[in-house]
Amino acid sequence: MVPLSWYLVLAAALFSLGLYGALSRRNAIAVLMGVELILNAVNINLVAFNRFIVPAAVNGQIFALFVLAVAAAEAAVGLALIIAIYRTRNTVNLEDADLMKG
Amino acid sequence: MPSDYLPILILIVLATVFAIIAMALPAVLGPSRKTKAKLEPYESGMVPYTDARRRFPVQYYVIAVLFILFDIEVIFLYPWAVMLRQLRLFGLIEMAVFLGILLVGYVFVWKKGALEW
Amino acid sequence: MQLVLFFVLALLAVAGAVGVVLSKNAVYSALALLLNFAVLAVFYIMLNAQFLGVVQVIVYAGAIVVLFLFVIMLIGGQLAPDALTAGSRRPARVVALIAGLVALAGLAYGLVSGALAPQTGQVQGSGSVQAIGRVLFTDYLLPFELASVLLLVAMIGAVVLARKPTKS
Repeated sequence: MVPLSWYLVLAAALFSLGLYGALSRRNAIAVLMGVELILNAVNINLVAFNRFIVPAAVNGQIFALFVLAVAAAEAAVGLALIIAIYRTRNTVNLEDADLMKG
Repeated sequence: MPSDYLPILILIVLATVFAIIAMALPAVLGPSRKTKAKLEPYESGMVPYTDARRRFPVQYYVIAVLFILFDIEVIFLYPWAVMLRQLRLFGLIEMAVFLGILLVGYVFVWKKGALEW
Repeated sequence: MQLVLFFVLALLAVAGAVGVVLSKNAVYSALALLLNFAVLAVFYIMLNAQFLGVVQVIVYAGAIVVLFLFVIMLIGGQLAPDALTAGSRRPARVVALIAGLVALAGLAYGLVSGALAPQTGQVQGSGSVQAIGRVLFTDYLLPFELASVLLLVAMIGAVVLARKPTKS
């Protein structure tokens, strides 16, 4: 049986990597990928806590399911925003998209 | 139980090994004569008329987004379908509300002309 | 056996995440993301959350990565390589480092104080679709209905934003 702390360390590593990606990349698509990594790290935590702390319940898994729905909606709208920015400004570099009015 | 998934693991390993062998063996055994026709992306297929990395119409994106969102809807339908007998009429109403809200979006998208090619 | 499996998979997951963050080409980033998502599905199965494992493959690996690839293709495959290390975004690394340290510190605290002591036993197929359905459609009814509103908003937003602006 793998101890809970290992899963938490893994999730922390993935979360930090995702945060690094989301903060340091300039390509807007890569930033969104970093956000997806973060959401997945959270999901591991939810499922692992569910499994080890309250093994008879499924609450953590249901939370993970909702996180999944939120992640899908976020990716859909985020990528649509990137397309809209690309159409008006012809760039996906976040540092070029710094005007409120295109 | 996780150990029930051992066959799937074995299948994945076998598929990977087979793919590696299938790609490595011709490189080792077969003679390599690089003519121009053989280096085409599709040998004896269509003649490519442009780089594959050209831009695609945005319609593809709209269709893909709608696919994902309705995919999530179907994910919620699975546990509902399994539990429908215990949930009785209440479950039916819940799901009707859920689907009704999403139907509004579907009608909006349709009226907006986003599904037209 | 499980420990070895965990280590191999954890290594693969972290490798995928590193690939997402470091590769210059967005297409390779998306493929590394696919690797990461697929490995996480195996973790869910190891954690007795079979339904979530399957859903992870269907939604993340099957749909979201495809969406990312679509957008990369829409915008043009050869994106300008975004210089990862060019000076001005250096604070990001510091922030990420601090966040990682905070996460590890919280973890260490939880382990020392005994709040994270594992409780084994009494697991009987709780990750099944039935258990999820039973709780989801009774205790979590409101979040479930709100999820449909969220999906509706996402649908409208995505279509309005991505549509060609000059067609009235």
